[in-house]
Amino acid sequence: MATEIPGPQTQRNVLGGQTFGNILMIAVPLFAAALLLGVWEVWVRLADVKEYLVPAPSAVFVALSDEPGRYANAARLSLTAALGGLAAASLFAFILAVAMAHSRMLERALYPPALALKVTPIVAVAPLFTIWFGFGLAPKVLIAAMITFFPMLVNTVVGLRSVDPSAHDFLRSLDASRWQVFWRLRVPSSLPYVFAGLRIAVPLSLIGAVVAEFLSGSAGMGQLILVSNGDFDTPALFGAVFVLAALGILLTVSVALVERKVLFWHDSSAGV
Amino acid sequence: MRFENSGSPENPATKNATAVEVCDLSHRYRVGDRTVTAIDGVNLLVDDGEFVAVVGPSGCGKTTLLRAVAGLLTPSSGRVRVLGKTSRSARQDRALGLVTQDPGLLPWLNVAANVQLTLDITGRGADADKRVSELLERVGIGQFAAYVPGQLSGGMRQRVALARALAHRPRLLLMDEPFGALDELSREEMRLELLRVWEDERTSVVFVTHSIREAVLLADRVVVMNGRPGRVTAEVTIDLERPRSALLEDKPHYQELVSRVRNLLFAEPVPSNASGQVALGD
Ligand SMILES: Nc1ncnc2c1ncn2[C@@H]1O[C@H](COP(=O)(O)OP(=O)(O)O)[C@@H](O)[C@H]1O
Ligand SMILES: [Mg+2]
Repeated sequence: MATEIPGPQTQRNVLGGQTFGNILMIAVPLFAAALLLGVWEVWVRLADVKEYLVPAPSAVFVALSDEPGRYANAARLSLTAALGGLAAASLFAFILAVAMAHSRMLERALYPPALALKVTPIVAVAPLFTIWFGFGLAPKVLIAAMITFFPMLVNTVVGLRSVDPSAHDFLRSLDASRWQVFWRLRVPSSLPYVFAGLRIAVPLSLIGAVVAEFLSGSAGMGQLILVSNGDFDTPALFGAVFVLAALGILLTVSVALVERKVLFWHDSSAGV
Repeated sequence: MRFENSGSPENPATKNATAVEVCDLSHRYRVGDRTVTAIDGVNLLVDDGEFVAVVGPSGCGKTTLLRAVAGLLTPSSGRVRVLGKTSRSARQDRALGLVTQDPGLLPWLNVAANVQLTLDITGRGADADKRVSELLERVGIGQFAAYVPGQLSGGMRQRVALARALAHRPRLLLMDEPFGALDELSREEMRLELLRVWEDERTSVVFVTHSIREAVLLADRVVVMNGRPGRVTAEVTIDLERPRSALLEDKPHYQELVSRVRNLLFAEPVPSNASGQVALGD
């Protein structure tokens, strides 16, 4: 056939043509952030706002650049706890979701404890975890896991059930084993839902880690906030908030990029 | 019961086996605390290598019949034999191919990988690459091997569905309104495509459709189903020579057969227990 056919190549060209669009996608939010900081700076200076109430962005950046190592170290600790908790929760949620998607009976049995875990305020259990596990990584990971477990579980269960019946019939007509149906159909079908869960869980994991540090005083961004607050060092406190915001955005964008790669076949993968 | 005895000439000299043998098949679905009888006392014989089309209005139980043959549902009563075995063991022999109205391709796999999947699952992976590209050529989508289903038109997706259902060389191909969701032009094209492919592969086929012209164009025999619950009410042998082409539709004999099937489908009063709710008049 000699006719020109649109296809994967063309698709790639179209993506290449979107480079300008991609630059805009990054440039616009950066510009908006810069504008916001500029307005804030001008407001603080003109209105002569006290630094211990609201520091100017420039003062915050001075605080950050005074002790970059301290922030970097705290960020690393919090990030480790958040991602460790998220990974543990996702894995455990997957295992439980497989059981729950497999049998309604198990779902009924396991749902109440999962829900109980979700509604338990982490502020109540964080001190307890500190008593049990000390000031290290473990209690923080546990808190981050606790807060992210439920959204991961619910989404994975729905995902594992969301199998195209025609595809399922076809595999059955080939006498595919349960194992083959599971790995080749069920798990890939669940991925859009798993990623929807991750989009909710990723910011939560960071919150979980920071709250745990804040309550137990173990090292990390939460402790940094706690100490700065005690010292009335508002610029340092704002510095910590800035770092956390940046971490949150970084994680969210990372998940979105991975999602776009993995779910290239799914229409939900377009948005960040 | 009022159907022309579906016992097609059982001539042991020419035919060695029966592809499908359905005897007195009935199925009731449970809907809440009620039951719906979808088919009642259906008989169907498909000879080895025969192409049988099943026509009937929506809701007369065509899908139910086909799923029972495929072993995708366990009928309430009656007997189903596929290639002389239960449908379950026919399936275990990897003797079945299935194409449904909704193609049910795996959207994350490209076209070649969707066909390859059949070979992986049925363990017929030897020379797989060759078989896959040969099949894709045959259904006319050779250049689209690297595309994912989301990039294809409905007609092309059905070509992939056909290729993957044939990949393991099944002895019985089951098709449930495979072109039902396509526009008229793609439908026309796919019918001719299926004729060509079938002439090469020569598997037995049960082809469910609600298009009379499609049934007559494709099949060796058209089985007419009707009523609620559905039954086989008639059948017509299509003695048009093969290979067939689109030109056939201009032949008087083709048109005669089409109107014969149409009359059997519409004009004939529907035998039904539930008398009084017959609304199939022309
Ligand atoms: N899963 C099901 N549950 C309950 N009733 C069903 C189900 N599938 C089909 N039916 C009913 O059985 C009858 C036959 O359906 P079906 O076999 O799909 O007919 P067709 O394929 O000819 O349109 C219809 O009345 C339909 O409503
Ligand atoms: Mg149907």
